[in-house]
Amino acid sequence: MTARGVAIRISGLRKSYRGTDVLRGIDLQIEPGETLVIVGGSGEGKSVLLRHLAGLEQPDAGAVRLDDLDLSEYLAMPPNRKPFRIAMVFQGAALLNSLTVAENVALRLREHEHRSEAELSRTVSDCLAQVDMAGTEGQLPGDLSGGMRKRVAIARALAADPQVVLHDEPTADLDPILTQQIGELINRIHDTHRATQVVVTHNLALAEEVGNRIAVLQRGRIVELLPADALGHSTNPYTQAFVKAASLRT
Amino acid sequence: MTRMEPSPDPTPRRPGERIKARRGVLGTIGYEVLDVLQIMGEAASLFFATLSGVRVTGRTRERTMAQLVRVGVDTLPLAFLVSLFVGMVLVIQTAEQLERYTQEIIGSIVGLAMTKELGPVIMGFLVAGRVGSAVAAEIGSMRVYDEINALKTMDIDPVRFLAVPRFLAMTLALPMLVLYADVVGITGGAIVVALDPAIKISVSQYLTNLNQWINTTDVFVGLIKATTFGMIVAVISSAFGLRTAGGAEGVARSTTAAVVWSFVLIIVFDYLIVRATLVLL
Repeated sequence: MTARGVAIRISGLRKSYRGTDVLRGIDLQIEPGETLVIVGGSGEGKSVLLRHLAGLEQPDAGAVRLDDLDLSEYLAMPPNRKPFRIAMVFQGAALLNSLTVAENVALRLREHEHRSEAELSRTVSDCLAQVDMAGTEGQLPGDLSGGMRKRVAIARALAADPQVVLHDEPTADLDPILTQQIGELINRIHDTHRATQVVVTHNLALAEEVGNRIAVLQRGRIVELLPADALGHSTNPYTQAFVKAASLRT
Repeated sequence: MTRMEPSPDPTPRRPGERIKARRGVLGTIGYEVLDVLQIMGEAASLFFATLSGVRVTGRTRERTMAQLVRVGVDTLPLAFLVSLFVGMVLVIQTAEQLERYTQEIIGSIVGLAMTKELGPVIMGFLVAGRVGSAVAAEIGSMRVYDEINALKTMDIDPVRFLAVPRFLAMTLALPMLVLYADVVGITGGAIVVALDPAIKISVSQYLTNLNQWINTTDVFVGLIKATTFGMIVAVISSAFGLRTAGGAEGVARSTTAAVVWSFVLIIVFDYLIVRATLVLL
């Protein structure tokens, strides 16, 4: 696991759905190995932005570059010729319910790499151990709790040895203890894999815990970009209102 | 300004939505026509994508075998019951109509009806209802719960991973099911011939007449139909699954639509194949 993160540069990204502007010109530079957290209210475009970084959405205008490579060029490359890998952890984990935990974690490797079953098994065990899910290899996703599913989804992402990890609402519907565990996992990926991570959340405690920087998204625009520890000192009215509302919830 | 590569999956888009919003009669008709054309376009596009995605690899073979069990083996008991009773009903109905003429031709009528028409159509309907609906619901749920997007982020083509094994399995299993249904249906007819006192011919006469009239071309026509119907059910159920949107309600809508459209297309292609074989054979 020697992955090093890649730089992500987003410029002039715009997207609208049926006449409604969701992203209205996003410009953002994310450093290699950095964990950037995107916060904002519901419907502000956070997940849409993340899906653009994963290549799941097509922008109306603008571009995403990963190191020196345009995302469209990256997506067009055959899987085993790609110079780095992007993994995404979805809000609902998105594990394939018909496959066991081990098969889910090994899926990408099994499809694209010629590894022996013993090697695959070792990688799966290693990835599951990293997320404290060792011993669950034979279970089906339907037998797991929400927090366990989320951790298996992180293990599946790690199995690809990714240079970029995208997290969509990693702690949605999780209790505070599980939220803390997920936060620790994101920090572990930062420390040990040195992958570039983008985390979308409206959990400000998590944002401050895992982020190097925090981008505040409002109505499809980045209204503030600041170090994680400076969130409470923001002078931006929207950020202040968001922080205040979040503190009321807790 | 750089554009990214389009997403390969047929995301639901309704070209006629603006027309429908006007709510006029013509607008509504226009919307429906555009929607049907779009569905047909998506199905045709998926058909060609599936054909080009067929690779005989170990992984595809494993997934296809799993689907073959689901489509073929698991359907056998139901196919047995349905075909048996269809054969039995056919003999009773035919015998009653022929009572005043001759019942000696019952065997050929049952045989031809089963091999050329009822076997393929009924098995097509059965697979559409039993397996096609399950495929549409399964792929639809995968779409709703981001599993298909998860596959894409792992550089796994959803068409190759999901649609190809189902397509191969249905295309291979339906002809086998039709042969099975032919045998069971004809046997069902023979049971009625043996047991029903209103039928004046023997089982031996029933089978002799059947053998005289049925040739390999008739069976071949039934198998062509079965292969085509297998492709139709696979493509339509996968296409509706992949265009699912709107949560659990969307999954239910896709499942119903997949079955209805499979039924309609089976009947339409049944007619086209009959016309074509009348000209060619």
